[in-house]
Amino acid sequence: MGSVTFVEKVCVLGAGSTKYGKLADSIADITTQASVAAIENAGIDPKEVKAAYISNVFGVADKQVHLGPVLMSNLGISDKPSLSIESACGSGSVSFREAYANVAAGFYDCLVVTGVEKVTHTGTEWTTTYFSYCSDFFYEGQAGASFPGLFASMARAYLTEFNATEEDFARVAVKNHDNGVLNPKAHLQKKITIDDVMNSAVVASPLKLYDCCPFSDGASSVILCSEKFAKEHGGDYIEVIGSGRGGSPAALQGREHMTTIPSTKIAAEAAYKMAGITAKDIDFAEVHDCFTIAEVVDTEDLGFFEKGKGVEAVREGRTKLNADISINPSGGLKSKGHPIGATGVGQVVEVFDQLTGKAGQRTVKDAKIGLTHNFGATGASCAVHIFQSV
Amino acid sequence: MTIKEQLIEQAKQGKVLAHKCTKCGYLHLSTVYFCQKCGSKGFEDVILDGTGKVATYTIITVPPAGFEKYTPYAFVVLQLDNSELRISGFMGGIATPADLPVGTRAKITGFDERGILMEKQ
Repeated sequence: MGSVTFVEKVCVLGAGSTKYGKLADSIADITTQASVAAIENAGIDPKEVKAAYISNVFGVADKQVHLGPVLMSNLGISDKPSLSIESACGSGSVSFREAYANVAAGFYDCLVVTGVEKVTHTGTEWTTTYFSYCSDFFYEGQAGASFPGLFASMARAYLTEFNATEEDFARVAVKNHDNGVLNPKAHLQKKITIDDVMNSAVVASPLKLYDCCPFSDGASSVILCSEKFAKEHGGDYIEVIGSGRGGSPAALQGREHMTTIPSTKIAAEAAYKMAGITAKDIDFAEVHDCFTIAEVVDTEDLGFFEKGKGVEAVREGRTKLNADISINPSGGLKSKGHPIGATGVGQVVEVFDQLTGKAGQRTVKDAKIGLTHNFGATGASCAVHIFQSV
Repeated sequence: MTIKEQLIEQAKQGKVLAHKCTKCGYLHLSTVYFCQKCGSKGFEDVILDGTGKVATYTIITVPPAGFEKYTPYAFVVLQLDNSELRISGFMGGIATPADLPVGTRAKITGFDERGILMEKQ
């Protein structure tokens, strides 16, 4: 963070989520439900919330943009400011970062950060189409590239460059579904096998349906506050010890390597530096596994494994719950689901639950430090955060 | 004509309009306005042949709206000959990976509502 001096240590004081999946309630309703859950979980009076940071991409698909004032009105604090942030599938972590910076700088002592998406009612064809608008459209979406297609292009480059097979990618899906079964909020709560993945319909070769996260509706919310505020209110809280952001060329064609995501490396380096730790110190991580290939690439770019070796780690079971490093104990985007505006905030909810002993059967044993990694599009935008139990 | 319109006109003739930094010589696709290497704004036009090898690709079987009638088709990232540049495009008539191994020679053949069009060479 260079020479920036922070006034305040920043903490997460409460967290809440709706279930992820196909939801009947409106985007405004689920935004409110998650926010109320976070406020009640934190045990604060809503009037103590000074502002709201909302992350959302396709509010227009559910006839509601400008979500902030609607949320604030529903919370009975319509005089308080709010804003919406869009950074494709990375909106949640980017919004969290901006909220973090405002608390760290001393502008606000308590904020609500809520991410939301409501798209499943538009159907597969139109959700696929809307999401393609998150690419560098002139070169990619316009040429018929869907998001599965762009990650499939990365997967084929990985298969060409490294010692990897499609079965290896399938193991990521199997592992994340094993974790997701233990998460009552997960969209796809069922165990699957490598054969299930390999025999599922091809969406964009070499990726098959079970290599892909589902389209999900859902909302997640956290209460972010100064350390002073957290201590005064009692209750469980965790500290944010690292925050980093980065960027990549918007289109895959512009990247030096198509099997690495530059923004992840830049964001992770900044977050590790701020926290004064390295990848080895991370006990568990919620990473952006929108497709199985993405989790493999992420775990390499975050420094958990060498480039080209992430796939071996999966094959050897080293990323399973309570193995060497638990990757996506929540089930990840793959099983928990991917309401794109909510995902980055939902990862923080999982870290909060893990580090405050509320993760039930999917608890990462003796965990003290957790990391969240969330990106937009094929990693054109990215934010990484590191949290520590108190 | 805007730069994008010029790029499209060149694509229709099977060419790629690139921009070479007049300060450091770094080559970019023409949609870049400042040199990503040195930050300079001056560029000279370079017309490249739209030929090269398939760097990576996918075959889309679940398409976005408007592409149903072309499905299955390939989205291709092409490594251009004699340059570090890559460019993406649409390639019809590709049904299985056996139709398009990585490294297959391909070329730009045009531009329409499917963006930059490519074919095997």
